[in-house]
Amino acid sequence: MIKQLLLKKDLRWILIWLLGIIVAAVWNILFLNKPALRQVTAGFIDTFAIALLVVVFTLLLAWCVTLALHSFEMSKNKAPYLLLTFLLNLIRSIPQIVGILFGYVAVGVLIQTGAVRSHAVIFPLLAFCVSLFVFIEFVDLMRERIAHYQKLDFYNAMRVCGISEGRVINFDILWKNSRIHILNKLISVFGAAIFLQCSVDFIISVGLSTDVNAVTLPATMGSLLAKIDSKQDILSIGYALTHPEYIGSLFFEHLFGITVAFLIVFSLMSIYHIANGYAERHRL
Amino acid sequence: MTLERFSVRVKAGQRTVVSAANYGVFQDEVTFLFGESGIGKSMVSKAVYGLLDPDELSATVNDKPYTVYLDDAEVKEIKKNSFFVFQEPSSHLNSLLKISDQLNEGSLRLSKDEAAIMERLWQDADVAAIRRILDVFPKPYRPSGGEKQRVLLAMAFKKIDVLMRTTGAGGRSFFVFDEPTGSLDNRYRNLFLGLLFEKYAKRPFTVMIITHDYSIISELYANYRPLLPRIHLQELRRKEGAEVEVVDFSAQDYLSWLGEAPAGSSFGVSETPVLNFGARFTVFGRNLCLYKDPAHTKEADLEINKGEMVYVKAPSGVGKTTLAKVIMGLYPAQKFGMTLCGLRLTEKTPKKIWSAKIWGKKAGMVFQHADESLNLAASVKETFDGLPLSEKLTLGRLSQVLSELFDGKITQAFLAKKVAMLSGGQKQRLNLLRTIVLATDLLILDEPLNGLDFLSVKKVLSILDKKRSEGTAMLMISHNEEIFDHFVDKEHVYYLAEV
Repeated sequence: MIKQLLLKKDLRWILIWLLGIIVAAVWNILFLNKPALRQVTAGFIDTFAIALLVVVFTLLLAWCVTLALHSFEMSKNKAPYLLLTFLLNLIRSIPQIVGILFGYVAVGVLIQTGAVRSHAVIFPLLAFCVSLFVFIEFVDLMRERIAHYQKLDFYNAMRVCGISEGRVINFDILWKNSRIHILNKLISVFGAAIFLQCSVDFIISVGLSTDVNAVTLPATMGSLLAKIDSKQDILSIGYALTHPEYIGSLFFEHLFGITVAFLIVFSLMSIYHIANGYAERHRL
Repeated sequence: MTLERFSVRVKAGQRTVVSAANYGVFQDEVTFLFGESGIGKSMVSKAVYGLLDPDELSATVNDKPYTVYLDDAEVKEIKKNSFFVFQEPSSHLNSLLKISDQLNEGSLRLSKDEAAIMERLWQDADVAAIRRILDVFPKPYRPSGGEKQRVLLAMAFKKIDVLMRTTGAGGRSFFVFDEPTGSLDNRYRNLFLGLLFEKYAKRPFTVMIITHDYSIISELYANYRPLLPRIHLQELRRKEGAEVEVVDFSAQDYLSWLGEAPAGSSFGVSETPVLNFGARFTVFGRNLCLYKDPAHTKEADLEINKGEMVYVKAPSGVGKTTLAKVIMGLYPAQKFGMTLCGLRLTEKTPKKIWSAKIWGKKAGMVFQHADESLNLAASVKETFDGLPLSEKLTLGRLSQVLSELFDGKITQAFLAKKVAMLSGGQKQRLNLLRTIVLATDLLILDEPLNGLDFLSVKKVLSILDKKRSEGTAMLMISHNEEIFDHFVDKEHVYYLAEV
């Protein structure tokens, strides 16, 4: 059973990823000071919770927009279709990182003015900002799948049997015949969400010319990476390269920054391999 | 007569794809192998010929591992002396090489018979027209399916010519023609048979023709009677799961059934019109017209009354399927007029009218390729979900519907089975049942007998008879002229042609 599991690249990398995180957690529990450990734990949980929410929002947004586009495209009045396509292209024209950055600034302002306080509201807001600039790729994928099946007899053969358009699109095309493609894309979105969050949080934490700062937003891996302690820890890696006798100290004295960097890089690499393995296994 | 039996088992991973214990090859004689689509005819023939990839599939032939079988001197001799015409002409031809070059690859260049073969297979074409076909690359699909099929047949005939020139009477051969007439109409099919038997009469060689075309039997009995002792009709039938067996197929069964096939007018036909489709229509810039005679002199509206079956004939590619799709509102015809169950429809009628009032309610259509028409990722049961039926299709009722075309008890496991796991013939039966179960006034059937074995053909025609006697009007499109000429009254035959 385990042998079979290890033969599948995606499942193997899920195991490697979990194992890596567990090893890092145990090491940190043993050797990292308690306040720093609390920060790393909070940063890790916040980052992955937001990334999961991004996945959910992206899927919902993309599915709804795909259905709307399909329905507008079929209708005789093309104005709603053109308007929605224009809006999507407008979002597409904004670089993801810039769009998310401004979204975060807006959320930061809401937090500072006291309009939102609870993490239960802040997390979804941050996740929505990320998914707004990620979901369009997902819409493209779903529309490609629908277009592919519309070209085949598949679509017309079902429609002339009286099966409703909604069922053919939602059940037969997207669910039955595209869910593997969709899941593969969701894994990539999960990785992209972690990467974008870390990048934006890092930029915000390093400093913007606004009142928004890392204090106002939940602690994430990106903001932890921007801390002065992390920077020193990471710089010590360079020092260890020229002074090999210092390598041992990295895992005890510079654990905070190295753990944060490790969790980001190792998670992104693992997710990349999981997505690739999944695509290979299902011959996508 | 030397009959060589092969036991063949092919596995993909842990799953047995096909297992045939008694695949028979009659040395230096001609075998026609019938059987439903997807049952394993091609796979077993490829295994015996030595074409399977041992890295992809694990196979045994006569209990020998496949790599050992491939090393056998006889298999090597067969591969040297023979040719395998693949079912799908597009995938057989190399898209990067001109057809003329492909006709002269390897040992084929030793044949001096190319011009004569091409002239026989392209009977009406002049030298320049044949040259135009030879001078092109197969992609992007410049030659038609029928032309590509004839190119492959020409290759096989060249190889036969080489065999006749280079080996004496003793050289072993195994010419496999996998659905060689799938893209040809009856005229070209008969040209192929004529040339094959002409060469065979000069120097016998081993031939295996895999086909679903039962009407070939009538052609054999009509024109090749002297050769009948050297012709064998066999059928591959499913025993259980992936296990299949080869049985003798009785030509008399087919010929006598054909003689007994009921004519369309014998049913309680009413004068209630279901469809009236104007004789002339324009689609994709082509002007098409319906006639009542094969000479195309009597232009006529297509009229189908309640309980009538109408058969539309035309050579391949003229637009029979296009006509069906125009009636169903799937193709935007530039000019047409029709009345369906009292509803007047023209090129100006919005598509949503078909969706709201016609599809699944007044008319249904069975598409010709079951593989493309069904959701392969869905289960057998899910195939029937979402249909606009007057009463819910309970499991009991669904089992009853399926048992009309599927043998044995309809189990839960079968209902839960993915459509992709069914054989081609089973998919076609499912494809038919999905539409037949609807209570529509008009049923359009595009090649409903595609990929079916004889038993299923009989069952399908019996079900259609029943539907017709209950009042369903039917529009039939099929290249299986022999069967439908018997099945449909002559008054109800229309001829489609481009104006």
